[in-house]
Amino acid sequence: MTNPILSVKDLSVRFGAATVVDDVSFAVAPGESFGLVGESGSGKSTILRTIMGLNQDWSGEILVDGQPAASDSRRKFARRVQMVFQDPYASLHPRHLIGKAIAEPMRIHGMDNADARALDLLDLIGLGRNFAYRYPHELSGGQRQRVAIARALSLSPKLLLLDEPTSALDVSVQAEILNLLNTLRKELNLTFVIVSHNLAVVSYMCDRLMVMQNARMVENVTRAQLRNGELKADYTRDFVAASRL
Amino acid sequence: MTGALAEIRNLRIAFPTENGGWHQAVRGVSFSLGREKLGIVGESGSGKSLSGRALLGVLPDYARVEADVLSFDGIDLLRASRGERRKLRGSRLGMVLQDPKFSLNPVMTAGAQIMEAVRIGNRRISSAEAKKATLAILESLHIRDPELVFDRYPHELSGGMGQRIMIAMMVVREPDLLIADEPTSALDVTVQMQVLSILDELVTRRQMGLIFISHDLQLVSRFCDRIIVMYAGQIVETLNAKELGAAQHPYTKGLLACLPTIDGPLSPLPTLQRDAAWMDTL
Amino acid sequence: MSATQTVASAGSARWKQIVSFCRRFARNPLGMFGLFILVALLFCAAFAEIIAPYDPYLPNLTARLTAPGAEFLLGSDELGRDILSRVIYGSRLTLLIVGLVILTSAPIGLLIGVVSGTYGGWLDAFFMRVTDVFLAVPKLLLALAFVAALGPGIVNAAIAITLTAWPPYARMARAEALAVRNSDYVNAVRLAGASEFHIILYHIIPMCMSSVIVRMTLDMAGIILTAAGLGFIGLGAQPPMPEWGAMISTGRKFIFDQWWVATVPGFAIFIVSLGFNLLGDAVRDLLDPHLKARS
Repeated sequence: MTNPILSVKDLSVRFGAATVVDDVSFAVAPGESFGLVGESGSGKSTILRTIMGLNQDWSGEILVDGQPAASDSRRKFARRVQMVFQDPYASLHPRHLIGKAIAEPMRIHGMDNADARALDLLDLIGLGRNFAYRYPHELSGGQRQRVAIARALSLSPKLLLLDEPTSALDVSVQAEILNLLNTLRKELNLTFVIVSHNLAVVSYMCDRLMVMQNARMVENVTRAQLRNGELKADYTRDFVAASRL
Repeated sequence: MTGALAEIRNLRIAFPTENGGWHQAVRGVSFSLGREKLGIVGESGSGKSLSGRALLGVLPDYARVEADVLSFDGIDLLRASRGERRKLRGSRLGMVLQDPKFSLNPVMTAGAQIMEAVRIGNRRISSAEAKKATLAILESLHIRDPELVFDRYPHELSGGMGQRIMIAMMVVREPDLLIADEPTSALDVTVQMQVLSILDELVTRRQMGLIFISHDLQLVSRFCDRIIVMYAGQIVETLNAKELGAAQHPYTKGLLACLPTIDGPLSPLPTLQRDAAWMDTL
Repeated sequence: MSATQTVASAGSARWKQIVSFCRRFARNPLGMFGLFILVALLFCAAFAEIIAPYDPYLPNLTARLTAPGAEFLLGSDELGRDILSRVIYGSRLTLLIVGLVILTSAPIGLLIGVVSGTYGGWLDAFFMRVTDVFLAVPKLLLALAFVAALGPGIVNAAIAITLTAWPPYARMARAEALAVRNSDYVNAVRLAGASEFHIILYHIIPMCMSSVIVRMTLDMAGIILTAAGLGFIGLGAQPPMPEWGAMISTGRKFIFDQWWVATVPGFAIFIVSLGFNLLGDAVRDLLDPHLKARS
């Protein structure tokens, strides 16, 4: 890969005595959609949080656009990378109006017309402008996740990290959100890193994926390899078999 | 149907709303159940869990429950006293909840919790006998080293093991009807099938009735005999599990179609077009 | 969820919340009773000159210790002053103390607690140990010591009560901040590059507000009692101010023969404290995030 937008090298993360991510490396090319798959406790979500600077005790190297993530100021970094959280019920401030929540990152960055841009973003993610003046509790899970996506896009980042973006949603709503994400990726030229325990979702969304187990990476495969069953590790084969049932 | 294990006719459950009215969460659900595996499938808010809980009598006090018939093995649950219902719950009705992390007592060992369940069912049993029964049930759940698991606290157990403990607590009293509410949704896929097959084996061997509540149509169809599909508090379709492909209702079809699969096409997923007319089928 | 009609502006969205809150509050009869007492108190304080039949300070030595009757509705005191008028004017002093204490102790406690909970580390340890020290000293004793140092008077009494009233707010705000600071919605703005100051101001403090408001309304009764207590032992408002506690103190001398002198202000304290307690309880039922989660 010539110029990866995200490159993680020898990343290890510790929570106290426990090592939750053990020597993991991967790189993501611009425009690619990359999946991190594994079961609970495999460390996949921790990798995302560490990239975003939400964990302190880590070693290794994280480069975004060729620059160490840690060297960037938080604001500059925020304009390159954003994250969508798993639980849309926990990721929106219960006392803030939707429009305000979407406009807030732009306000923090001193951008003009934050409110008007928030309305445009509401159109973009398919909710419509009149949602701006509602509170999160008036929205369904799928609608909230759309708002969280709009907020993540408000600073126009090139790289979007998605932590189990649909696992808290009903399957019919999951389909809508996945379609929306794919459309946005095409229209805005985004790069995705998607963390999921659901192999079907990752196979649908991602060009390439890395399988993780117990804090370690098991194997890197492309979508074609996954679908053709060209898998090297036993664990991956078991995982795929269980997911196919 | 006579001789049915449980019968529900025209069940309606409502909750008070903020502006003083009532929100109808379940609107006229009827089904009867023999000693079979019945799946209830629907999305969040469809009323699938509430219907199961109404049978157990574990709905919150402020819920308004009405039904023409709500009976278990000939016992009229609508007329039964609180004490009678509690007794039923302890002995003949059991429930397995979604996440073992929240339904096991964190300060009691797994073994102690199962033993407690045994002794509630039979107060005169000695503690040595209760322990024996506990180890036996753990063994029947394919736990390799029951003695070891017996002394573990819930936080020392994996999710799949925790769920097996939950199941053990429920089946150790040999209930006639087990209600499993999303019993595997919090588990990893590789563990899911294991827990399900254990549940299946138990239910079949002990001739229990099972109500399996889930959002996962595929999973339920592999596991149950009959499937009820619920939408917005009503039953839209009842299916033979083997004939899932023959589903008629657009909602059922939509649920089946909108799932991505590992080998599926990369074209946009078909989404469910909700039709207001589904609200008043029946 | 689906029943909500389209709302066109931030103002009307907020208005809708307020209306919904009021509607739920109106369904609690005890809360409404408490609110009624509070409104009556505010009314008395605002229009004391109009309502009060007599001047509360003007002695009338010919009418000393008159029993309740046609001339003095609730009797007169040892200087012939109308007790009803004094109680009505006293509502001003009560409100003044309550207002001063609440408006100083709640923000101080909130700020200390939120900063402590958000930053953690040695700052947290330092603030919490200071809080512990204040919590360890008996309230009235601490207030007494401060009044003794500062000299008696109504403002000094308020300052003294404030010094004893802020630690619970700090504890509470810290607990809320700890729960909120690592939530996903705070992480989301953190990832957007927000400063800790921004996060505290716009995200953590609003989440603490409902607990603080509940605590405030429930605290008011206690503050009234403490203020009356200080007045009673002569360290609060000074005569001839018609402060309820001080009035009881003077009435004490006649308690066996002229019961009304001490009883009427005592009853005023009782009614107003009860009102604040009922109000606080009702507000808690509506606002307390922990109760909400359970229902």
